[in-house]
Amino acid sequence: MDKLKKEFSKIYDKYVEKIFRFVFLKVNSKEVAEDLTSETFLRTWEVFRQGNPKIENVSAFLYQTARNLITDYYREKGKTQIISPEARPITDPRQNLEKQAILNSEMERIRKALSELDEDYQNAIIWYYLDELPIQEVANLLDRTVPATRVLISRAIKALREKLEKV
Amino acid sequence: MTTEKEVIEKIKVLKQIKPEKKWVFLTKEKILGKEPIFFPFLKPAFAGLLFILILLGLSFTSLPGEPFYLIKKLVERGQTVFVPEEERPKLELELANKRLEELSKIAEKNDVKKLAPAINEAKESVANATKNLVKSKKVDKEIVQKTLELEKKKQEVEKVLGTKITEEGTEDPTKLVAKYLIEDFENRTLTDEQKQILEKAKGYFENGDFAKVLELLLTIGQ
Repeated sequence: MDKLKKEFSKIYDKYVEKIFRFVFLKVNSKEVAEDLTSETFLRTWEVFRQGNPKIENVSAFLYQTARNLITDYYREKGKTQIISPEARPITDPRQNLEKQAILNSEMERIRKALSELDEDYQNAIIWYYLDELPIQEVANLLDRTVPATRVLISRAIKALREKLEKV
Repeated sequence: MTTEKEVIEKIKVLKQIKPEKKWVFLTKEKILGKEPIFFPFLKPAFAGLLFILILLGLSFTSLPGEPFYLIKKLVERGQTVFVPEEERPKLELELANKRLEELSKIAEKNDVKKLAPAINEAKESVANATKNLVKSKKVDKEIVQKTLELEKKKQEVEKVLGTKITEEGTEDPTKLVAKYLIEDFENRTLTDEQKQILEKAKGYFENGDFAKVLELLLTIGQ
């Protein structure tokens, strides 16, 4: 058990920021992102420690669990994935106020534009450019071939650029 | 107009979104339980090492007849293995000095139970020193000094215990060193004054005062 805990502890350290950011970008609430990220890791740990079914790809399992939880969250609350303009991004508090204000404003703009894209476009951008996953892994997560994923990523960027010009 | 490359750069701003460190820590603890505080020295491998160090520490001050004395002897014997042949007499003299010190401590405390093993250890050790001196037949200033030290301690202990430390049938190390030293000086070119000292030393040798021989001849060497 200790060996499993150690192994999962490393997985947690490696992915916790990525999963939190992924969830946060979808739910736009720190508290909800914390709850869903926590639940994502708890569920993954349960399966991981039982070894049944065996998790072949931990990162894919984590992102898929997070996606399911996000879907459940919106279904249960009867909410739609709309980003509130008042939502405050979570940034490094050590930065000076002016710099932080500029950064927050830019982050708001990008996040708002991103949230208005199709889910596959959003995920492709997050996984490939933010989480820097290999193209093969992004393709697996999107259940597409690598060439199809490249095309999707390219279209996603184009769509985001158009959105940014509007917001 | 923003290029796609610029858009990609802008996306990276979102990397600033991070969970609070405290939340990260507490959530991990909630899922996996508290992580045990890591004490490296409590791990089995370190515990073994610690045990050995404690044993060595305890054995260092132990006396003949005590539980950890055997370890002390083993460590000392281990040291002699790595010492070159020409240095062996010095080391054996050092060990014999240690044995006499131990015997002296036991005699002071009047610890009757440990006395017999301590006398045996001292006798064996002095015999070993003698054997190595016979083997090498070489003496230098350090050997003479160590032998003098040994002789002094031996005399003190013999006086207190009323028993001889040199085993029967073996030569006395002081006598042996005195003999080698005289032979050595006889083969050297000496000044008149040095010749006189050597003659005087020979006289002491005839009278069995071997320690005096060493003291005298040490002055020539200086």
